[in-house]
Amino acid sequence: MNHQTRVYDNIFELLPTEQNPTPLVRLNQLNPMPGFPLYAKLEWMNPFGSVKDRAAWALLRDLEERGLLTEGRGLVEPTSGNTGISLAALARARGHRLLAVVPNKVPQEKKILLKIVGADLEVISDELCPAPGLGDGSINLAKTHAKASPQKYVMPNQYENAKNVEAHYTTTGPEIWRQTEGRITHLFVSLGTCGTVSGTAKFLREKNPDVKIIAVQPTEGHDVPGLRNVAQLGVSKLFDAALVDDILEVDFRLAYTRAVELCRHEGLLAGPSSGLIFEGALEIVRRDQHGHGVMIFPDNIFKYTSNLVKHIPELGAGLQP
Amino acid sequence: MANYAHPEVLVETDWVKQHLGKPGIKLVEIDVDSKAYAAGHIPGAVGFNWQTQLQDQLRRDIISKTAFEQLLGAAGITPDDTVILYGDNNNWFAAYGFWLFKIYGHKDVRLMNGGRIKWLNETDKELTTEVPQITPTQYRASGPDLSLRTLLPELLKQQPNQTCNLVDVRSPDEFTGKVIAPPGMTETAQRGGHIPGAKGIPWSTAVGANGTFKSADELRAIYLDKNAVDPNKETIAYCRIGERSSHTWFVLKYLLGLNNVKNYDGSWTEYGSIVGAPIEK
Repeated sequence: MNHQTRVYDNIFELLPTEQNPTPLVRLNQLNPMPGFPLYAKLEWMNPFGSVKDRAAWALLRDLEERGLLTEGRGLVEPTSGNTGISLAALARARGHRLLAVVPNKVPQEKKILLKIVGADLEVISDELCPAPGLGDGSINLAKTHAKASPQKYVMPNQYENAKNVEAHYTTTGPEIWRQTEGRITHLFVSLGTCGTVSGTAKFLREKNPDVKIIAVQPTEGHDVPGLRNVAQLGVSKLFDAALVDDILEVDFRLAYTRAVELCRHEGLLAGPSSGLIFEGALEIVRRDQHGHGVMIFPDNIFKYTSNLVKHIPELGAGLQP
Repeated sequence: MANYAHPEVLVETDWVKQHLGKPGIKLVEIDVDSKAYAAGHIPGAVGFNWQTQLQDQLRRDIISKTAFEQLLGAAGITPDDTVILYGDNNNWFAAYGFWLFKIYGHKDVRLMNGGRIKWLNETDKELTTEVPQITPTQYRASGPDLSLRTLLPELLKQQPNQTCNLVDVRSPDEFTGKVIAPPGMTETAQRGGHIPGAKGIPWSTAVGANGTFKSADELRAIYLDKNAVDPNKETIAYCRIGERSSHTWFVLKYLLGLNNVKNYDGSWTEYGSIVGAPIEK
């Protein structure tokens, strides 16, 4: 396909590859260290609005190639929203159904979006009390459907499926290497399923073992959909500690204030997970002073207006006549 | 089994698999998430809803003996059956069910170690959406055995650490009063904190990373050595509404074999709302 003419035969041709990367944009106002430029990789420029397009496409193609999606059998997947949106949109466009099992704390915008793109929705109560062995309610319910009704459901399982990592090893990593002409010194990512960090870091480390991989996590009890902190990481089988140099823990409320700063001062409509990553990057930029940083910004702000109002009350003021 | 005082009340998932469909073995799933049973359960298991079937719908109480008899009769259970209970959230409500079965005198009731999550994650274990065909029975219960239960008037007579051990099994944030209840819970109290003299030992300290119970030696170290629960005194466990404390009640009474353990099922939602009662934070 020819991206220069920007005419495509179908939506799948817009999915990112090394030849069709998501944009990398330099921060010009909010980075205090001129010797350490920071670039944001705008994953919301993917056709379904988030970094999850990459994993969803890889997971779906894998199921199709293995012949697991047949007449009457669709997908079931636990999702905090973005994977579900990508997976449902892609699946429906290819003639399959998706049952998305969603924790209740997911913002309403995302739940409605899931329905708009054609997912069937099952919303469940959030985790009741932190405990060993519990895993995550949405993961367990999705697994139950797949195990009890295999004639109706197959579960790609983004938390355990190596295709999730491979998607980033074959696209995100090569894109960044090429876009920075091999100059990248620091990669800043958040942790959810850990597919992004594991796949991208593996590729970049093979190119240059000195590239520093910085994972940024919200504090416990956070309200940043899609992310996990150390205590919650057990549910992902894709996390590889050997690929991460630093894990920074950032007060989750800063995710929201930094996201709004990025919107107002850089024109980057970054969502809360991007705000969190940016806060972590600022910490490292001040520490290391020199480098060439890339931040993977997972999605934009549009799905989070209700969360934003909760954490930045000023945004909710003056909305009535 | 791990040197427990009463190993006969605990079965492993492999044991359950080997005994599926055998006469005299009945499986009951009791979950916090009421959607879980319908999504998939162990073949042959019936599902009990803790909110509508194990609690009286008009008074705040456990179900009556008559209601218990009707529930078990409709589930095709006889007093001579071996009943295996299991559920989500590390068997919270399965343990509550166990406590209820014992109050009404069922002889052979057991918990499946690790609960439904362990079964779910084992590749050789099946789940089904098929609801079993039941032949109803005329179940006759005995009891109630109130030596397993503490009601408020008895609790108020106790002097924790002198006349009894009082074990608060809720999370540290509930114990200290930082939160009144875990987020999103509808049953709550007027104030946050704990009953004066209670020891805070979260229920989850009794289970390992895969959700199964720790060994008797480990449990003894946690409850008796580290937290100074005196085995010579009566022990009362409580939580928010009596389900997590059933889990600890099970551990103390059956796995460690303490001889006088009670569940205060009124728990914090009752005590935390009493006018004039002192609390600690």
